[in-house]
Amino acid sequence: MTRFFNNIVEIFTNQKYLFEMLNGLKMTLIISVGAAVLGLLLGTIVAITTLSQSKSRLIHIPKAICKVYVTIIRGTPMALQLFIMAFVVFAIRGFPQIVTAIIAFGINSGAYVAENIRAGILSVDIGQTEAGLSLGLPRKTTMMKIVIPQAIKNVIPAIGNELIALIKETSIVSMIGMKDLNMAAQVIGGGNNLATYFAPMFVAALFYLAIVYTLTFAIKKIEKRLRASDKR
Amino acid sequence: MISVSGVYKRFGDNMVLKGVSCEIRKGENVVVIGPSGSGKSTLLRCMNLLETPTYGEVWLEGQLLTDADPYLHFDLIRTSATYGNVRKMLSEENPSLSETELDEAAIRMIKAEDLLKKNEGAKFREKLRSIENSSRVPIELARRKMGMVFQHFNLFNNLTVMQNLTLAPTQLKIKTKAEAEEKATELLNRIGLYDKRDEYPSRLSGGQKQRIAIIRSLCMEPDVMLFDEPTSALDPEMVGEVLSLMKKLAEDGMTMVVVTHEMGFAREVGSRILFMDDGQITESGKPDDFFGNPQNPRLRDFLSKVL
Repeated sequence: MTRFFNNIVEIFTNQKYLFEMLNGLKMTLIISVGAAVLGLLLGTIVAITTLSQSKSRLIHIPKAICKVYVTIIRGTPMALQLFIMAFVVFAIRGFPQIVTAIIAFGINSGAYVAENIRAGILSVDIGQTEAGLSLGLPRKTTMMKIVIPQAIKNVIPAIGNELIALIKETSIVSMIGMKDLNMAAQVIGGGNNLATYFAPMFVAALFYLAIVYTLTFAIKKIEKRLRASDKR
Repeated sequence: MISVSGVYKRFGDNMVLKGVSCEIRKGENVVVIGPSGSGKSTLLRCMNLLETPTYGEVWLEGQLLTDADPYLHFDLIRTSATYGNVRKMLSEENPSLSETELDEAAIRMIKAEDLLKKNEGAKFREKLRSIENSSRVPIELARRKMGMVFQHFNLFNNLTVMQNLTLAPTQLKIKTKAEAEEKATELLNRIGLYDKRDEYPSRLSGGQKQRIAIIRSLCMEPDVMLFDEPTSALDPEMVGEVLSLMKKLAEDGMTMVVVTHEMGFAREVGSRILFMDDGQITESGKPDDFFGNPQNPRLRDFLSKVL
């Protein structure tokens, strides 16, 4: 047991280990934030396209694309999608792996976010839309001013869930040889270094927990503010 | 003011409106009554196109809101080649028919078998477009003149009372923010709810919500107000405050169409009553005749149940 604590102290004090750990953390954060931004953007666009009530006949084409996208992404494993991105689509010498990872996770997250947003918009009572339309507001204004603000409130918990899952899921980038937090722990623990996985893995877990906890806290804060109009 | 002609509305296999025509004149307070499922609300919602009629047309002050329906424009049918052919065929089949009989039979046949769409294709669509081009108005513009009040109030939950009242006029650039707030303040004072201006709808009672929903429509200064069972979702003690506001509106000369189960209101405020049954208007008349001397057996049955 003392060895375990000594090892932990070692990781935080030995500059080589700490540097490795923090670099891994940085990589995890960059991929997560990049993928989250891409995913939210993509998810919003896909959700709005899917729910579009445009009368144009051309709308069927983007709608079909969105449907196929969501089906494929949700129907195949994340690791496989990452491999395809890394070894097929972006199998270009010198192409930065970090961009590959961001795109792969962003596209994956987008499909889930799209479904969350779609559910959130549908959960707003249709009467709200009808009231807006009956006042002569165009559909777009009704959406932007009335439905979406209420939908956001409904989707925040689900989006939070998705972001948390995304952060943890980025740990599989080690499978394509990237040095994220998870990989850093492995490197420190293996070979000529500490020669034990327990302490570095524990520290990595602490780091993940800290990120997720911070995120949860932020989401709670946002939710509380958005719920101001619900107070009775 | 509002003219509904030959409107049919189908939901799936269910034909809810089966050829409804009616005319709402300026200053009238038309009350629509009838058993549930008879299509009252659907008719009202077809008037401002929250439901799109399957067939038929809706006009607001000489402007077409729906797509043009060729079968309501007999002069248009008569100019078509299909009409000539059908007429010729009918006269060969039955030479004894007079000119007017032939005309009626031909139109009836074209209508029944939807021959215009089948035979004339693009040309027919062009003719429709010519009607639409000359008199059609975008529905958003028409809705500004038609206020609508819903059974479940539908106040915007994410906005305060004041924001609810000023959103549409300011967004549509009809009024500046100051003008809209001035109008909203005046109306809020009129219903005695000015102190609630910064509350969210979730903190209001049903009666308060509905009265604010009514003045939200009034903020757009509409020419006609449509009420879709405005008191049906209210606790009994709150019905009175909403009805008295509606009565005041009627006295101020607002044109109103009210779908309701409040027979007392219908008798007192209605200038004309429509009875709907099974997707059709089966009786219409002044309240006195209507309640005093009902002709239609279905109406008599209905009144005996609700009065």
